[in-house]
Amino acid sequence: MTALPLLPDTAPFAAEQISALNKVMAATSAEQRVWLSGFLTGFQAASAPAPAQASASSRKLPLTILFGTESGNAEALAISARKAAAKQGFAPRLLDMAEATPEQLRLLSNVVLIASTWGEGEPPQRAADFYAALMADAAPRLDGLRYAVLALGDRAYAQFCEVGRRFDERLAALGATRACDRIECDLDYEAPATDWLGRALTEIKQQAEGGAANDAVIHVDFARAGAEESAYTRNRPFAAEITEHVNLSGSRSNGRTFHVELSLEGSGIAYEPGDAIGIVPSNDPAMVEAVLKAAGQDGDAALHAALTDRYDITTLTRPQVSAYATLIGSAQLAALAADEKALAAYLPGRQVIDLLEVAPHRLTADQLTGLLRPLPGRLYSVASSLKAMPDEAHLLIAETRYESHGRQRLGVASGDVANRRRTGDRLKIYLKANPHFRLPADPARPIVMIGPGTGVAPFRGFVQDRAATGATSKSWLFFGARNYLHDFLYQLEWQDFLKDGVLTRMDVAFSRDQRQKIYVQHRMWEARRDLYAWLQEGAAIYVCGDAQAMAKDVNAMLVRIIADQSGQDADTAQATLDGLRRGGRYLRDVY
Amino acid sequence: MADQLSVNEKIKAASHGLRGTIEEGLQQHITGALADDDTQLTKFHGIYQQDDRDLRAERGRKRMEKAFSFMARVRIPAGILTPAQWLKLDEIAAERANGTMRLTTRQTVQFHGILKSNLRPAIRAISDALLDTIAACGDVNRNVICSANPQQSALHAEAASLARAISEHLLPQSRAWHEIWLDGEKVEGGEVEQEPLYGSTYLPRKFKIAVAVPPHNDVDVFAHDIGFIAIVRGGVIVGYNVAAGGGMGMTHGEPETFPRTADILGFCQTDQAVDVAEKILTVQRDNGNRGNRKQARLKYTIEHMGLLAFRAELERRLGYALSPPHDTAFAGSGDALGWQRGDDGAWHHTLFVENGRIADLPDGRQLLTGLRAIATVHKGAFIITGNQNLQIANVADSDKAAVAALLDAHGLSGTVGGLRRNAMACVALPTCGLALAEAERYLPDLVTALEAEVAAVGLAEDDITIRMTGCPNGCARPYLAEIGLVGRTPGVYNLYLGGAFDGTRLNKLYRRDVGHDAIVAALRPLFAAYAAGRAAGERFSDYVIRTGHIAATTAGARFHDDLPTNLEG
Repeated sequence: MTALPLLPDTAPFAAEQISALNKVMAATSAEQRVWLSGFLTGFQAASAPAPAQASASSRKLPLTILFGTESGNAEALAISARKAAAKQGFAPRLLDMAEATPEQLRLLSNVVLIASTWGEGEPPQRAADFYAALMADAAPRLDGLRYAVLALGDRAYAQFCEVGRRFDERLAALGATRACDRIECDLDYEAPATDWLGRALTEIKQQAEGGAANDAVIHVDFARAGAEESAYTRNRPFAAEITEHVNLSGSRSNGRTFHVELSLEGSGIAYEPGDAIGIVPSNDPAMVEAVLKAAGQDGDAALHAALTDRYDITTLTRPQVSAYATLIGSAQLAALAADEKALAAYLPGRQVIDLLEVAPHRLTADQLTGLLRPLPGRLYSVASSLKAMPDEAHLLIAETRYESHGRQRLGVASGDVANRRRTGDRLKIYLKANPHFRLPADPARPIVMIGPGTGVAPFRGFVQDRAATGATSKSWLFFGARNYLHDFLYQLEWQDFLKDGVLTRMDVAFSRDQRQKIYVQHRMWEARRDLYAWLQEGAAIYVCGDAQAMAKDVNAMLVRIIADQSGQDADTAQATLDGLRRGGRYLRDVY
Repeated sequence: MADQLSVNEKIKAASHGLRGTIEEGLQQHITGALADDDTQLTKFHGIYQQDDRDLRAERGRKRMEKAFSFMARVRIPAGILTPAQWLKLDEIAAERANGTMRLTTRQTVQFHGILKSNLRPAIRAISDALLDTIAACGDVNRNVICSANPQQSALHAEAASLARAISEHLLPQSRAWHEIWLDGEKVEGGEVEQEPLYGSTYLPRKFKIAVAVPPHNDVDVFAHDIGFIAIVRGGVIVGYNVAAGGGMGMTHGEPETFPRTADILGFCQTDQAVDVAEKILTVQRDNGNRGNRKQARLKYTIEHMGLLAFRAELERRLGYALSPPHDTAFAGSGDALGWQRGDDGAWHHTLFVENGRIADLPDGRQLLTGLRAIATVHKGAFIITGNQNLQIANVADSDKAAVAALLDAHGLSGTVGGLRRNAMACVALPTCGLALAEAERYLPDLVTALEAEVAAVGLAEDDITIRMTGCPNGCARPYLAEIGLVGRTPGVYNLYLGGAFDGTRLNKLYRRDVGHDAIVAALRPLFAAYAAGRAAGERFSDYVIRTGHIAATTAGARFHDDLPTNLEG
């Protein structure tokens, strides 16, 4: 690792202060430096005189925070940004891309755009229409617009922050003025987003006012984004006691799916059905040892603890390949990192350990941790309702276990919960609200729930909630799994819900019970007449589960059913379905 | 007759011609089960609802109902299948059931582990093979079985045609089976078809018929409600001795229930046999106990009426008297394994199938794959024997080598010792709901232990019948074995001795509630004594009776009498 640039002698400190600071700086990790940077920014903001300056008092600058969200991160950031902007003297408002059109942008002067990238470079589903309209040839000129883009992504994916990048380029192409350079944030977005937003707001203000006033940096605590929902976050989770821990899959199932009941007592966590609970997992001790060994480290207690609880030691990203190549001076790895095609072939199914082992090299603790990303939380839809289960949250967690490149792989959180947690243990959790996946506000609206596999989790919460509130509208659940005998999750509960009338109808598809695979979409097709009739009666459709195959197949089937039953052509049927989505009657929580 | 009708009688009467609500139940996909009453009715369609008892303990904890599935039993009169039918059944096993087929003591094929969602496709596929499951279970005449003696090809063909004729004649008339399992078309106008033979409540209990061609008693002709024993004179069947009132089932701790060998009523001409079967069935229909299903078999009806009164009533319905029975004798109840040449010159190979389970076994015997391979080239027939073995029948001289090579290639040409080749077990755990203990999964291990004992005293190649059932209902006909074992509770059996080798005499309780070691310990000295002290040609069962170890059971009603003084050993 190259030597860190140190404070020059010309820095405005006494010589011993410079020496002391250099000593501290030299020993810091990348994460610590980022933190420090954020801290100093905030410290400066807090100690600066009169943060809301006189310039803001007379004429508040309009600012639109435009966001496209899938998991809720972009939305939470947008909410925090609005608060910060208001403090800074803007007149901010939020605009969800789900409700926006490019035409609206023509009327705006200042925009902070926050967009996440989903899957392989796709916009969030809710933002898809806006995205497509903006990219279309018919999009209006936006010459009067000043903007800055905050892109959210995950470096584990090839098309990292692709959607934010395209928004940025497109706005510029349409004539808008980029107020400051785009920032691309990985999973640990809080600190860099804080820093960037402060600069972006300052730039926008300066440019809008044409002045050179050096506004104070704004304090935004993204680590506490969404704090109004719960005091607990990824970085300050609640230690919930596990009160039940049972593998629901039959002993002859191909997989294991755990029903985990958590006590929320004393946490004040108030989730709604549809929300997710984030789990802060610990890494597999065997993987920690393997990583340490591959890095030639004995590993003291502090490093053990860091690799166990603070760093992502499995997910392998593109920058890590190149960083490791540089670190160990490997031309071969550098070539791999530089060759996108080779990299795209190399990465799937591989993890950090594979990279370390392909070219074992003795690393210092700092070098090792400097290579790693912070350990992210894992989100699981809550499978219960607080109204039915006071002070409890139930999770449905399928253990991820597979073999690739000759190595047994285990999901970080699912493996942790499945193998190392038992009833009576504590699990670090936080609430992740999912405001776009809620039961209908109108209790009379029928609901159709499509949730194969663990996708059924939120619907257990929905149905529990409806039972507790005495909801009387019709409800219909599609469930699917591999084998009827061994994978019918919560079978007895569904039978009871049906018997009690809380659930009106349930259709099931078990793919491996016969030669030809039967999935939920096949059951939907068989029931198309009834399904369409429910839609005609105003039913809302909810889909939860696998995004790669299931959600796409279900979407295609909905289009086909609408076309078949209404006589529309496919494009019109698609437009009908899009209309349902815009109207809040086609909701998805897919991953 | 009891005043109160049993629950089953009410279910039958209200079933709308054996339909019940089976159709609705099949549409209920969130449960693998049918409505309780319907599970009684599906038996008439050859279908039993079961559950995997190995999984019972975990299901509730996992918030799942019992691991329900269905057993479907094919109606195969005389147990004869074409190779094409075999291949179709093999495919059904793989696609719709648990991947295996189970040959039964009543010459049929059972599929286990059929999920409700696969039930209709499975039955349709059976129908496509020109077979059905009608009346394979239930309170009706079930599959009619017939000796599978390969050496008497012409006689066998004739006896088998009688078995088929009786089976067809005694079929229920209800179209419910076709309606529910095949085309789904409802009977027009909601009118239920008449059952001229059975009436709306069918029989009081199950009803079984067997046809035997002496000297082979592979069907255990005395174990059924009716047994027809072919009388051969001058190389042709001139008629049949008619036996009635046999049956195996009993209940532990209820001495008024007992297994019974059939009584020979007389002799009928060949062309009278179907009529005789029908009239015996109607006497039972009208006189059987419909209040207590444990007293409802024909054997109890005959006990209650008295044999003479029963025969008189039968002859009244026939309109003629049966002739006195002809003399005839059986040599044994087992199968002659391996290649046999029939009197028509064709070859027949009887393949030992341990406990009737057609599967590829871990020891290398590829019964499933091997028989599939043979079925693709075989031009003759497959005949399931009453001992759960399989005969590859009617192999031309020119084809014999090819079949033999396939047997060899699939590890199926080995031989087994005298105890194992005469061993039979019922299915029992994990699928049978009645099982109190293991049978099919345990008997092979017990036989292995006993083989060491018989080998030690030089009896390794001696034929001794040993049969085990997981409950006292007697599917593997344990009460007619020289050594019978009937499950009491997991790992614990009652041990019976003295059943005749030729299937003419029931055995008797020798030890109560014995486990593996105690069974071996009880038999060890008997094997040794038999090896040392038997008369020439004396069977093991005859020896233990002659030497006073156990009393002979002379009639079913005396099955529980004359027990040894020390049942605990």
